[in-house]
Amino acid sequence: MRALFSMTWSSITAQSPSGKTRRVSGGIFVAGPAGGHAHPRGRGWILPAALSAAVLLAGCATGVVPAQRSGADASGSRTTRGLTVADRRVQSIAERDRVLFNYRTAALALRNGEYDLAKEKLDDAIVRIGGIITNDAEAARARSLFTAESNKPFIGEPYERVMAYYYRGILYWRDGQPDNARACFRSGQVIDSDPGQQGYDADYVLLDYLDGLASAKLNTDGGDAFRRAQQRLGEQRALPPYVEDANVLVFAEFGYGPRKYAAGEYGQQLRFYIDDSPTHSARLVLEGGKLIVPLPGYDDLGHQATTRGNRVMDHILGNKAFFKSSTSVAGDVALAGAVIANDQARRRERQGKDGDDANYAAVGLGLLGMIGKVASAATQTQADTRQWDNLPQRLSFAAVKLPAGEHRGRLEFLDRTGTVLERRSQPVTLSVTPDGRDTVVFLSELKR
Amino acid sequence: MNLTSRLFLVGIAATSAFLAGCATTAGVRDPAGVPVTEMRPDERGFVAGTGIESQDLVSVTDKMARSILSIPQIARAQVPPSIVLDPVVNNTRFPINKDIFLTRLRTQLNSKAMGQVSFLDREMMKTLERERELKRSGQVTASADPNVVEFGGADFFLTGKLDGMTTRTSAGTSDYVLYSFRLTDARTSRIVWEDVAEVKKQGLEDAAYR
Repeated sequence: MRALFSMTWSSITAQSPSGKTRRVSGGIFVAGPAGGHAHPRGRGWILPAALSAAVLLAGCATGVVPAQRSGADASGSRTTRGLTVADRRVQSIAERDRVLFNYRTAALALRNGEYDLAKEKLDDAIVRIGGIITNDAEAARARSLFTAESNKPFIGEPYERVMAYYYRGILYWRDGQPDNARACFRSGQVIDSDPGQQGYDADYVLLDYLDGLASAKLNTDGGDAFRRAQQRLGEQRALPPYVEDANVLVFAEFGYGPRKYAAGEYGQQLRFYIDDSPTHSARLVLEGGKLIVPLPGYDDLGHQATTRGNRVMDHILGNKAFFKSSTSVAGDVALAGAVIANDQARRRERQGKDGDDANYAAVGLGLLGMIGKVASAATQTQADTRQWDNLPQRLSFAAVKLPAGEHRGRLEFLDRTGTVLERRSQPVTLSVTPDGRDTVVFLSELKR
Repeated sequence: MNLTSRLFLVGIAATSAFLAGCATTAGVRDPAGVPVTEMRPDERGFVAGTGIESQDLVSVTDKMARSILSIPQIARAQVPPSIVLDPVVNNTRFPINKDIFLTRLRTQLNSKAMGQVSFLDREMMKTLERERELKRSGQVTASADPNVVEFGGADFFLTGKLDGMTTRTSAGTSDYVLYSFRLTDARTSRIVWEDVAEVKKQGLEDAAYR
């Protein structure tokens, strides 16, 4: 019996995320009287109680169910019936990670020039992130104590959702639909509005600048949007004024975007790690150096990720962490009480008195203590750190007027001091169409 | 009641109290979110709304089709006027398939107008011109003299515009979209008909996404 409780206690403490092992009574929880001093009634009571506790623990030990993959499994489950090969390939991604998969694939496709694939993935993602998610069972479970936040369908933090709209806007513009592109930039700015942190409301420079440029191209007034963009950029730098007959729109990105990690004693705090990229700006060198198009970094996703303030979900995770901590402490107290009760029972028995009450109390407190420890261990407090991990750090844009035809040049990346990072330079060829439609060029320092 | 029994009871009470704290969303308003609700534009909303959906398209184009057919220039015309559709302009924050509005409006008008209006297919102009050139050059047969200009000119232009307003706060997101369509006389440039439809929607997301 002692061995059983000892083993169980060890297994509970081993689950503590803090990695600390708290021991009671010299590391062994003594559930009842030992050896020949045991009271017959007490011993008979302890066994079923211990078994119950073991069953309880076994039930709790399942923890978080791993992300269910709805694709084909070895047994050919019913979920795969009636699906084509293409369906199966798509469904091998867990539904809750579908948007994340779309994000990553779209960014990669955009960099590889596979624009139709990028559009398909972004449209699929935007259908999910563009709506209002309510009464979602998985989201509700993510708020519950014993399910991790990462069990909810992923839509990403605001900076990730903004980027989905930003990329889609570029593709709409490429298709000759500046008004739909503008719609995407506006949606991005709405997503970034009303942050928990004051002073960072809808503060993407490029989204406003491009909103205004699209309006100007559509023969409407883009002045307000331009002024907002200039205000967000600050007084020390000036945005280039709109050139309405500029027919080449250059979208550039460089550096690696923010990385998420879980902080706090129980991993309940979502934090961002930003490794500042050596590339601070870029420039497009065309016509053998006769034309240099500056591409300064207007927006920094690291800044955007870290200026949103607290989420409501952070509050929920904080509550979960409090519960986890409290139940652990309660478990410790109950287990300590069980030890005290057990000691008293043994003392009374040595004095020839009835120790039944104390024995029952020891067992009861022991069970309560274990319930507390199990509840604590099963509480899932970790913040969701799934992330769109191939985002850039900085975004840039320039509009230039070029004659129709092919233009060769190179894209140069510059460090903080304006020195060219030679090894990062890329050859560039622009094909300007003669049909009057804007030629949209997407340039990225990132390969994947 | 001795000390151990008291300890036991206190333990039960303490554990129960901690377990009662299982509600992690304490202090969070509407943790499950508020379902999107469609409201009258003049109704005061509790927050603000969301995007352009199929039901909006259907209701807006139905209303516009009924409205156009009732104007004297269409209802009392001796000869069915010819109308050219011009793409709608999207000024909202929602990317849309712009053609779908005019396509549905045209099909509604064609099905309900009973020959009161006719539409000119300007999207096909390049194809039609190429075909006419083939006929003129004798490369393909012609059932009429291909040198006679028979492409119809527009009596009216029908177009539309979508404008939007968005509010987003911690209480939710709201979107108001104004759909305006107008019919312009090609000869005088006068707007002979104009009508609007309004949709306002609002919702609050699940707390897991806020």
